[in-house]
Parts: sequence; C-alpha cells; structure tokens
Amino acid sequence: MLLDIMQVTEGGGFVIIQDSVDCCGRQLLKSFMNAALKREEIIHVLGFEVCEDELRAGLDSRCIQRLYFHDGFTDPLGWTECPALTVHQFTPQQISARIGHSEQPKSVMLVIDSLSWVLRHHPATVVCQRLQELRRGGALKSILALLHSDMHQQGIVGSVCHLATAVISVSPGTSVKHAVAKTTRRTKSGRVTREEEYFTVSEDLTVTIEAQSMHSGKAQAEPEEFEADPAANLTFNLRLSEVEREAKEKLSLPFVFSQEKKSALLHHRPGAGRILYEPDANDDFDQEDPDDDLNV
Amino acid sequence: MSKVGAEHKPRLGCNTTSFQKKSRSKLVSIPGTRPSVQNGQLIVSTGVTSLDYVIGGGLAVGTLLLIEEDKYDSYSRMLLKYFLAEGVVCGHNLFIASARDHPEDILQELPAPILDDIASTRVEEGQTKLGDPEGQDSMKIAWRYQNLPKVQTALASSSRFGHYYDVSKTMDAEMRQTTKCNSFFLPDELPINSATEPSQMNEGYMALLRSIQGVIRREGFDGATPQNKSRNILRIGLHSLGSALWGDDICCKENPSNASSLTTFLYGLRALLRSSLSVGVVTVPSHLIQNRAIMGRVTKLCDTAIALESFKGLEGETNPLYKDYHGLLHVKQIPHLNCLVCEVPDTKDLAFKLKRKQFTIETCQTQ
Repeated sequence: MLLDIMQVTEGGGFVIIQDSVDCCGRQLLKSFMNAALKREEIIHVLGFEVCEDELRAGLDSRCIQRLYFHDGFTDPLGWTECPALTVHQFTPQQISARIGHSEQPKSVMLVIDSLSWVLRHHPATVVCQRLQELRRGGALKSILALLHSDMHQQGIVGSVCHLATAVISVSPGTSVKHAVAKTTRRTKSGRVTREEEYFTVSEDLTVTIEAQSMHSGKAQAEPEEFEADPAANLTFNLRLSEVEREAKEKLSLPFVFSQEKKSALLHHRPGAGRILYEPDANDDFDQEDPDDDLNV
Repeated sequence: MSKVGAEHKPRLGCNTTSFQKKSRSKLVSIPGTRPSVQNGQLIVSTGVTSLDYVIGGGLAVGTLLLIEEDKYDSYSRMLLKYFLAEGVVCGHNLFIASARDHPEDILQELPAPILDDIASTRVEEGQTKLGDPEGQDSMKIAWRYQNLPKVQTALASSSRFGHYYDVSKTMDAEMRQTTKCNSFFLPDELPINSATEPSQMNEGYMALLRSIQGVIRREGFDGATPQNKSRNILRIGLHSLGSALWGDDICCKENPSNASSLTTFLYGLRALLRSSLSVGVVTVPSHLIQNRAIMGRVTKLCDTAIALESFKGLEGETNPLYKDYHGLLHVKQIPHLNCLVCEVPDTKDLAFKLKRKQFTIETCQTQ
C-alpha cells in the first residue's frame, strides 16, 4: 500500500509520515517528493528543520526546478530584519499567496517539514483548522507532512492524524536495512485499510518493499475437529443401502402439495394474517375509549 | 378488521409487539412520529430500525442522542446520515452542523430510501430459494418454514416505523430539495484567525447554539407559530463535536484550557431541545478525548448514549467470533422519560454490521 499512496494521482489527500527518534522518516518523505516530481507535479516545501541543500540532495536533478523551497530554516522566528519564512506565517492566506506566485496549473503538492515544528509554536486546534482550510482552499492538490510522534502528547498526534487520509508510521525493523511502515488509509467512502510492510529506501530514493509481514488479515487455519461417526459400532443397523434409499425417496409424505400450491402458500402476501371480523348483533362494538371520561 | 379499542397488553420483556395505541385527536399527529408504547412519549425513528429497537423504540422528541465515534469515523458518520435521511423521508426539517465537511456535501451523500413495501423485499429473497426445490436449503417436510431465518438474531420490532436505506445509492436531488435544511459550517461562520477570548463557552459552540436557537424561534418549533402552520419536527445533526476543528482542545490536551466548554454547550442544547419539537444527534470523537472525566460528564448530559467500536481500529487480531461483524455497539445510557424504569435490551453483547440495504445490530452469538 505504501507504493500505492506514493503514486496516487487524485487530489484532496493529506498524508502524514509519523516517525520517531529511533527511525527517521525524512528519506521516505524525500522518496514521496521524488515520485511526485517525476509525475510532473510542482512541490512547495515549507522547510523548518533541514536546510535547502540537504533536502534537495538526492532528488532527481532533471525535475528539480519544479521544487520551490520556502526557507524557514535560517530564521524561523523572525529574529532578523527580513526573514524568508517564519513559523507565524503558517496561515492559509499566506501560504496560498506564496503558492500563487508560481502561476502554474493546479497540481501543487505542499510538503511540510516538519509539522512538529509548527505544532510547537501554535496551538493544535489552530493548526488543525488551518490545515483543513488549506485542503479545502483549492490551490493545492495534496499535502504531505512529517510528524515526529514522540515530540507531542498523544492527544495532539491523534487529533492531527484524525484529519489525514493516510498515516504512515515508520519504526525500526528487525534488521538494520529495513524499516517497518504501518500504513492506515481512509478513503472518501469511509473504508479503512491497514497494512504493515518492510521497506528500504535506496540511494536514488526509490522505495522497495521487501516482505509483507503477516498481518491479522490472514485467516487462521482452524483446527479441524475429528468428528466421531455416531453410526459406527452399534448392534443395530442405522445405515441405508442404495435400494433402501431409493424406496425412501419415493415414499410420498402426507401434506405434500404440488409445487404450485407450495409456492402459493409460501408467497408472503403483504397483509397476510388479516383478521376479518364482522360484529354480531350482541357485540358491543364501541369505538370510544372507555377511559375517556376519567378525570385523571 | 380493525383494532378493537385501546387495550393494554401485558408488558413483555422485549419490544416485539405490533400494538399501537389508538391516539385521540387531541394529541399532535406529526408525520414520522408515533407515541411510544412504553411511556407515551412522542418518538421518531433514528433511521436504523435495529437501533430504534435497542434504544427502546425510538428517539423521544426533545431528547439528545450521543454517538461516540469509532476510530475512523466511518460508522458514526453513517448513522448520522441515516438520521438525516429519515428526516427527509418523513418530511421533517433538518439542521446540520459540521466543522469538517460542508453540510451540503453531507446532504449529497445521504443514502437512498428503499420505498417499496418491506414485505416485498422478503419475497425477493424467498423467490430465489424456491427456484431450486432440490437444493440444499429446501426442506421436504417442513417446507412451510423454508423462508424463515434460522435463528432470530436481528433485533427489530414488527411495526413499520422507520425505513430502510440503500447505501450504495444516494438520495435523489428532488427528494432532498423538498425538505427545508438549515446548515452551520464553522469556517464560514467564524473567521479562523479570530483571537479566542476566554469565556464560558468556546466561540464556535456559542455561535452554534445561537444559530440553533435562531432557527427554532424563527421556524416556530417552540410553539410560537401562528395557528395556520402545521407542526413539524426539527432534526438536529451535529458532527464531531469536541474535535480540534471546532476550536476545542479537549482532544489535544489532558488539561484543556476550557474543559467545560463542550459540557456547557450540551447543557444549553438540551434546554433548547426540551422546549421545542426537535430531536438532536451529536457525534463525539471520544477516543481522542484525553481526560476520561469529560466523557463521563458528556454522557450524563445527553439522554441516550451509544458507543461504536469498529474492528478496523483495533491493533492485532480480533476474536474469530467477530468475523461476521464490523464492530461492537455499546449502549451506555438510556433515559428515564416520565417513567421509573426504562427498557434496556436483554444483552450487552451487541455487534453491528453495515450491509448494503440495512444496518443490522445483532446479539453476538457465543458458541
């Protein structure tokens, strides 16, 4: 599923890569970016954690001009006179303005490296609302964000991931080369799929899935019970021979109706079970409720 | 040929009576409602007949149903859509509030009602079996029982209150347009960058409460109408209250800055509901709320409370007993409305399954 998400072409997606100190997710982030660049998409990166050169390293040099890096690394809090991008400029209007500068058709992917940085400086509710506004705005096709799950309280991580269409958690695998990616994907119709895969990211940023770890989707082989045959080892004969079986089938049972009568009786007519009642002369068929004249 | 008078049958343990009390002309008769057989309250259907059975016949007018969302909000959203679709089919007015998806999008996703007679859908299932008389399922001697289900696991009362919906199709636009729908979409109502002042209630909730109050007063659901207008029910559906998109941080922090914001809102909402002909359904992402005490207060402030637990959200392997179902349904609270006892379902092991034509809630069979 990891490769499917990487190659997804429909818009409106919000992918979060969750990593931790044990296993960094930036390589996976860069491979996502590389795949998008190859698909002729335009990428705008809000970079707070690593410098531009480090992020551009390894990406496909032919498409590199489609990557626009907004530098929030050198001066994120605006201590100098003219900062390139501060963390306080993380608002839908300002981001749309920056993206709008390039005047390209609508296949823009916004990469946030990393969302944890933004969450340290703004309340989580504000960040969630702004992200949702960016998604609905229409200037972007998709948003990809890196989130360090061990930097925040569980509630914040949960709230932000609740908004996402796909969440990929990377963690170290059993061997040094491979990492484990647990992917949860939610489609628009509400269907949720989960998968766990071992993957490696090579030098040229291609992701290879090594092996699928056995998830709970595998049906457990139920132990077959050996049923004892109750008709064995008896002093009387319970089995039928062929001749006896044929004779039994030919026997006509009482209350066996023809097929038409059976289907007529089985056909469930609406209003079956009506009670037809004709009041007699002696019946006191009074429509009024006898409790009507109670003064309760 | 007709029901004879207004008899009182002895109270059975379960609500499988088709008895309907003959109503006197003084009571309000609004389409889509009927008096409850248990306590005489006016009830409406939630849109899911199994759920109506589980909560005691239906939702009483003037009460609030709390649905605790499942982890990915798939089934709770479906229940909200059923509730709204039932409102469209019965001709009630709707009020939809959401902070995430626009109410128009929610309206467009409403499932299409199956408007044939309910009995005829059973006939279809029966006909396919009849075509194969030598098949495994046909019985030679007990053929009259051929079409009955083997074990009565689905819970439903036999009276036809409530409709069935086909989730693979959406409702026609003409049917939707016949209902009057008020919507509240938070990003449109409040500017995002407004500074949040500390107050009793969050700004978003305050605006929502005012909007609901405005609709109730304007449309006259609280009895302030002129006499010529016929009465109708207002169905209020609030999606994902308490989530971060409403500006409330109970889902983000263990010590939220305003922990009583949601509870104050629910208190105000319930007061509005009690004094008007309206029904409310609220979904809350309880799995995200960090402070357990808040969820307890929220449950107490709503009348009926159910929780959905989907098997997709669980880590690891699920119990093999659950392979036929999509999740578990927990009934947390059922109100006592003008009575001393309330009807609760016989068992607490309820599991739900979303099929194409029905959302069934069944008792988990432990083998």
